[in-house]
Amino acid sequence: MLLPEHDFVKPATLAEGLAVLRDAPGDVRLLGGGTDVVFNMRCRLLTPDTLLSLKDLPELQGIAVLPDGSLQLGAACRLTDLVAATVLTERYPALVKAFRAVASRHVRNLATLGGNLCLDTRCWFTNQTKEWRDAKGPCLKTGKDVCHAIAGAPVCVALNNADSPPALIALEATVTLASSRGERRLGLQDFYREDGIRHTVLEPDEILTRVTIPPTTDRLVFLKETARQGMDFSYGAIAVRADGSGATASRLRIVLGSLTTAPRLLAGAAERLAVLGLGDDGLDAACATLRDELGPLTNLYSPAAYKRELARILLRKAVLELREMQA
Amino acid sequence: MKKGFITLHVNGDAHEVLVSSQHTLLDVLRGKLKLMGTKEGCTTGSCGVCTVNNGRGEAVLSCLTPALEWADQSITTIEGLEKNGRLAPIQQAFVEYHAVQCGFCTPGVIMSAQAVLNLTPAPTEEDINDGLAGVICRCTGHIKVKEAIRHVGEFGPTP
Repeated sequence: MLLPEHDFVKPATLAEGLAVLRDAPGDVRLLGGGTDVVFNMRCRLLTPDTLLSLKDLPELQGIAVLPDGSLQLGAACRLTDLVAATVLTERYPALVKAFRAVASRHVRNLATLGGNLCLDTRCWFTNQTKEWRDAKGPCLKTGKDVCHAIAGAPVCVALNNADSPPALIALEATVTLASSRGERRLGLQDFYREDGIRHTVLEPDEILTRVTIPPTTDRLVFLKETARQGMDFSYGAIAVRADGSGATASRLRIVLGSLTTAPRLLAGAAERLAVLGLGDDGLDAACATLRDELGPLTNLYSPAAYKRELARILLRKAVLELREMQA
Repeated sequence: MKKGFITLHVNGDAHEVLVSSQHTLLDVLRGKLKLMGTKEGCTTGSCGVCTVNNGRGEAVLSCLTPALEWADQSITTIEGLEKNGRLAPIQQAFVEYHAVQCGFCTPGVIMSAQAVLNLTPAPTEEDINDGLAGVICRCTGHIKVKEAIRHVGEFGPTP
């Protein structure tokens, strides 16, 4: 099946791309490696008027250590290149694990960092062929006032299944968004919204250009739970970062992915662990906060009860792993 | 651009082809260049039978990438492995280890295996698993395939 008809534009510079984004009529979609966008176009979930290819933009390339020690990653870096980058494997092995957790090598050889951060949300009803969707008609995401996955859902509850955001949020990464109006920079946790349809704050005229990770010597653990080992979207993922060493830590950052529409920062659990330490007491206290902190979860992809249990197990495993790590 | 001529370097030959924005690389390889070795499977990036190698010798899914992205790029397909009528070492190893059942996924599996060997000439178990994770054989399994790759990794080309 051919892709939907569209205009393919490959700008030579970021400025040119931003001008196209501002001036082109109709729906303009940003294209990184294409592994998400082309797939969704095939399913006719996306029928853009224009595809704007960002993969080769010079401004979006490169892995650099800035003078202040922060790490800057171009949004068009392929996941493969990030997995292979020595500066990353040496300083951020858990982050590399998160990049490596994305799909298969075949996909990572095309897919970009920006693409993974902007990965569209997914739902078992909507992310199917057009024929499948047509059988029940449009949903919240495809233009009608009804959700076919969760009866009565007032907003689209599709999940954010991207693997790299939890690890990057734990590292307090910021994203830079460029438009012809200028540039803005915000924390990655503020990039996501609890809305399956407009799941990021990226404006229609903006392009995610780079990711900046502030310098740190903290420990980081990333875990992803999948049905099979490799080539799967996750049931749930967690990134836990802590200072200190062994069972002592005073500052933690815990991020859950794939259980909700936006990656979830668990401030309560982090606070418990910071106060009580990473020993069994702290861990039990942190797990006890999970139910309240997660709040209502949907049965999308897996039952809410399973998700709660998974969150607890992921947190437990991650903290046990952290305990073994020295600063 | 909705339609235009691009130059594709496939298996060492330059081809000037008229490509539409609606075509993926796979559509062009099969439909325009009639290189039918590369198969069309799920077309959604799950099965990996459309795998070809890019200019750096890495495995990529030709079904998920717009053809227009590949202007002036080099691609190796399964047809490009054989040199002067001699099968490539990995192809020969697939024959010897019977790493084929129905054969539909074989071009994709071989191109994935070739990519593993391009990156790591002596691949470890983990390298092989990682390289094959994105390509699925529905009939048999990956045991014989892995044996074939390991053979090439250990002994190089069979004389």
